[in-house]
Amino acid sequence: MNLKKIVVIGAGTMGSGIAQWFAQQMCFVELVDNSEDQLKKALAEIHKSWDKLVEKEKLTNSQVNQMKKLLEIKSLNLVSKDTDLVVEAIIENLEIKKTLFQDLDHYFAPHTIISSNTSSFPITLMSEAVSAERKKRFVGLHFFNPATIMKLVEVIKGEKTDAKLCEDLYDWFDSKDKKPALSKDSPGFIVNRVARNFYGEPLRIVDVEDEAKMREVDQILKDVGGFKMGPFELMDLIGIDVNYSVTCSVWEAYNRESRFAPHELQKKMVEENRFGRKSKRGFYKYD
Amino acid sequence: MVENRNVGFINMTNVQFENILINFGFGTKEEKKQILIDNSHKDVFMDLTCFDPQEFYSTFPQLKGSFAALFCDHVKRIEVHMKDKNEAFISKLQELGFKTFETSILSCGFVFPRTIVQIINEAHFALEENVASKKDIDRAMKFGVNYPKGPFEWSQGRERYVLVLLNELFEKTNDKRYVASKLI
Repeated sequence: MNLKKIVVIGAGTMGSGIAQWFAQQMCFVELVDNSEDQLKKALAEIHKSWDKLVEKEKLTNSQVNQMKKLLEIKSLNLVSKDTDLVVEAIIENLEIKKTLFQDLDHYFAPHTIISSNTSSFPITLMSEAVSAERKKRFVGLHFFNPATIMKLVEVIKGEKTDAKLCEDLYDWFDSKDKKPALSKDSPGFIVNRVARNFYGEPLRIVDVEDEAKMREVDQILKDVGGFKMGPFELMDLIGIDVNYSVTCSVWEAYNRESRFAPHELQKKMVEENRFGRKSKRGFYKYD
Repeated sequence: MVENRNVGFINMTNVQFENILINFGFGTKEEKKQILIDNSHKDVFMDLTCFDPQEFYSTFPQLKGSFAALFCDHVKRIEVHMKDKNEAFISKLQELGFKTFETSILSCGFVFPRTIVQIINEAHFALEENVASKKDIDRAMKFGVNYPKGPFEWSQGRERYVLVLLNELFEKTNDKRYVASKLI
């Protein structure tokens, strides 16, 4: 497999990061969004980021000039129909995604791989929107934020996805600057499932709101466990509302199995609009 | 004086000096209790990674402190709990190459081991359901969320003690979240 032409749909944080990463691999990238302003903003941010990398001597001027030529912003009806790979990174809304995939299936050439960066929806469920032939070339590609820095890409095989295609994608990412992991299409895939207890267990150890105890747990998991951030400061950074929502969604998907159950303290924080850093109050205060 | 006792599923090592005995290793609860009974005249400090230190403190006044070294790696950093600060004990641990984090939290399985066994357990459930290979699960956690090690790297060679701690947590809480994957 050799991916040379990429279309990324959605110029938010994830989409623009994914587009930037592919351009850094010297792929021709077309970045698409409904909003022209968002596209211009994303392009400016990517160019700024590349210029900074030149200043830091991580990239050369010549490399960055080439990358800038390789990355274009467009509306969907103007992108190349013969692209090798489409990465969807739009809002997490199943109906909107399915409508988009239906359009993409009609628009792109039969060889085009259609992928989704979703963290919430089953790949098999989303692939219902495309033809039987395209289902074989419909896959999950779950990048992690920031996509240019985090090495992982979860390659998710839907029920009808061609196994060989997943292996080829795995090998392609492996040959680039990524660490792919092949996952079955099950709730939370790998990371959002296995990581739940990094939050759930410390919440049960602390059990009630006690800032000193939370600070101590954070410190132990950093000092003794070697984690870069403790669970409470990480939940505050991610957003307690976002983390709670992912927890609830995985819990529901696993028929409310107790090992995925959210903790009362998470619910309380959300009800009190204490979302973490973004609301200046979460498990800690940020004044 | 260093004394090795071949008990249970791993050798326990007792380090004795002055009137202090430090018990390393991961024997069964009964074996741990027997060591306390045999050393009732000493100040005992004991590795209780897989158990609830509170249960031991309330029964054995000779137990002056506990620690959790199950997942200790080359950095040798461990959680230590003491009823009262004991400089001689801390100095001895440091002399043995350990870096100590003195905690006030008394929790079954301490903080780091209790959190990590639950992550390990979920990784085994995912493996049991063929979600991904061991290699890919480790890789995902290290490169997706910056874990210092993958769950299977953490559990390698320690599965029996992971199971002991999960069973202990289940017994203490009666919460099904601690039921172990059959692959552990």
